[in-house]
Amino acid sequence: MASALCFAAAVLPLWGVKTTQPSDWGTLVALVLFIAASMWIGWLANKAMQKSSFMQGFFLGNRGLGAWALALTATVQSGGTFMGFPSLVYSHGWVVALWICGYMVVPITGFGILGKRLAQLSRRTGAITVPDLFRARFNSPGLGLLASLLIMFYMSFMMVAQFKAGAVVMKHSWPGAGSREMAEDIPAYKLNSAALEKLGERGVPADVIARLAPLEDRGFDAEKDLKAEVGKVLGDAGLNQYGPAVVAASEQLDWQYLVGLGVFTVTVVSYTLLGGFLAAVWTDLFQSVLMLLGVMLLLFLVVSSSGGPEAATRMAVERLGPTYAMGPGYDPTGTGRMFMPVSLAFSFFWVWVYSGVGSPAGMVRIMAGKGTEVIRKSIYLLAGYNLLIYMPLVVICICGRALIPDLPAGKTDSIIPELSIMTTSRLPGGSIIAGLILAAPFGAVMATVSSYLVVIASGLVRDVYQRFINPSAGTHELRRLSYLTMIGIGVVAVLANIRPVAYLQVIVVFSGTGAAATFCIPAIMLAYWRRATVAGMVAAMVGGAGTMVLMYVLGARGFGSQSIGAASAFRPFYLLGLDPLIWGLLVSAGLGIVVSLLTAPPSAETISRLFDLERPAKEATA
Amino acid sequence: MGRYTAGGALVRIRAMSNRTEDPALHSARREAWVVFAIWLLAMTYTIGVCSLYGYGRDVSDLKFVLGFPDWVFYGIVCPWVVCSVVSLWFGSRFMRDEDLGEELPEQEDELGLGG
Repeated sequence: MASALCFAAAVLPLWGVKTTQPSDWGTLVALVLFIAASMWIGWLANKAMQKSSFMQGFFLGNRGLGAWALALTATVQSGGTFMGFPSLVYSHGWVVALWICGYMVVPITGFGILGKRLAQLSRRTGAITVPDLFRARFNSPGLGLLASLLIMFYMSFMMVAQFKAGAVVMKHSWPGAGSREMAEDIPAYKLNSAALEKLGERGVPADVIARLAPLEDRGFDAEKDLKAEVGKVLGDAGLNQYGPAVVAASEQLDWQYLVGLGVFTVTVVSYTLLGGFLAAVWTDLFQSVLMLLGVMLLLFLVVSSSGGPEAATRMAVERLGPTYAMGPGYDPTGTGRMFMPVSLAFSFFWVWVYSGVGSPAGMVRIMAGKGTEVIRKSIYLLAGYNLLIYMPLVVICICGRALIPDLPAGKTDSIIPELSIMTTSRLPGGSIIAGLILAAPFGAVMATVSSYLVVIASGLVRDVYQRFINPSAGTHELRRLSYLTMIGIGVVAVLANIRPVAYLQVIVVFSGTGAAATFCIPAIMLAYWRRATVAGMVAAMVGGAGTMVLMYVLGARGFGSQSIGAASAFRPFYLLGLDPLIWGLLVSAGLGIVVSLLTAPPSAETISRLFDLERPAKEATA
Repeated sequence: MGRYTAGGALVRIRAMSNRTEDPALHSARREAWVVFAIWLLAMTYTIGVCSLYGYGRDVSDLKFVLGFPDWVFYGIVCPWVVCSVVSLWFGSRFMRDEDLGEELPEQEDELGLGG
């Protein structure tokens, strides 16, 4: 889950790597190695899952995850953390430590609240997916279908964003990429000279083209922005007559980005097809270990080069003012925006924790754990891992501000690549070391996409096709359908990313917290409350999801304070200064409890079989 | 009412229906409450300390501890280390191992719900 949320922070405009030539080669070599390693992992996973039936092997890894795999993949998924989070520290200062510090309890909450019970219920019911679990626990195929559709809704948003991130990283790995503009910097529409020529060829009169001259070489991210400007110079009648031609002629395609998108998609779909769930988990584990090594190495290099965090902070305070060392954080826009008021700091202690608890991708990994011993060990393994990742990253980026004081506002996502390249340039084999540090987030993007592919494919094949369309489908058919589904998802993701949506990273935040608001309370009720009913669960899911959608719609329409949180056009309504997730959870809990109590209790027999050790007396004596 | 099993877990007996709550459920619920309390405590301490000492302060008062601003060190670094130690205790000492039961064959379930 964290992947989605931390991607949230800024995954998409990621890796604006204005690199030097030698490091470009290092990056490319590292990425090629990573791709090769991922394919090898996919092949190994394929061998491992052949030991069991296809469905359980492909979608759940035969419930064979060990402690390390579970600890470092169920709640971390920290590629986004490695990309967006450093940018926030660099931009806003020490207060970002408060933004992220909910992670101090994520290991214990992520596994301790639901872990044991989910693992038990999934075994008792034979559930392979999260919707399977809802369906079996409440004896309601409809509830399973609703859960499946909601999961696929959120996951699709998140996954499409990751494809774009992967494509951008691939693009920037090519030698000399540093001299090119980022994909995000290439506008979707640009009325350049070639576009004006095309208009002439398509019969647009010369005087109309001349009137468009003020727009020449201006870039537009959205069609409506271009049309608005065209309307200003041509008037409404001119816009109606020539607007479509102008839009078509000025549309820009970035071929390097598209090649990157193609390579990324083929790679990730291939190894996921090969190894399914296990391939996703193992690559995730691989990148997590790589990332830890990268952070430790970078911490040593950056601290020794900068004179330490205290000196770096004093320097930053002198240049930028006291807010760099204190709340609510430095405002790079200079507009009086408060990045982290206390209300949001409070909110984020909920956001990270309950996003971990309520993440469907995290839940399914807990279901795949070998047993309670693995869940127990995962708690302290992840606690140690988080301790070594997050605060060191804060220190790295604070020190980074002293080493590279003036990254422009839109390029702060490149702080880690820039620091990697700068601090390793004097070391022997520096470009390869820098490349390895840079490969970690790329691996994280691949691992995240891979796990979402598995969840979405399992939703379609297991929860929709096998449950509702063809319950008697054989293994061969399910296997073929799973493969086709994954390829289909890859094709859709590529099509969706040819013209990437603006503000996609914020949509990712919405998806991550939305999934948590939708599933966290229902999952807790499923696990612990005998009296929970199907109607109550539906109300809790729909209530949580509806609240999140409402808050984002209100925010987009300008409700509430616009001067807190990260600057973005697609932002939620922070009612009382709190993140919508808190309201979503409260509404979900309220509706779930009230509606359950107002509806007929579930069958005692069903409940007893999932909650009790022994059968009811009358049945036991029957 | 309840009784203690040989392993020490309190197992509720529901006299009316002769049902005994699954020990794994019982320990999971107990652990979930403890986790919830840890989250609440960590949040209260961290947000409390950081809001008191990390906001609206004169920068000339700012001290550094091991390179961290004092409010970050006492409000975030220290509780983070404590939470990690608590996680170690929770995972290695407090949380009980339970038998999760036999794995059902694929596409079967004991509720007979089809699939």
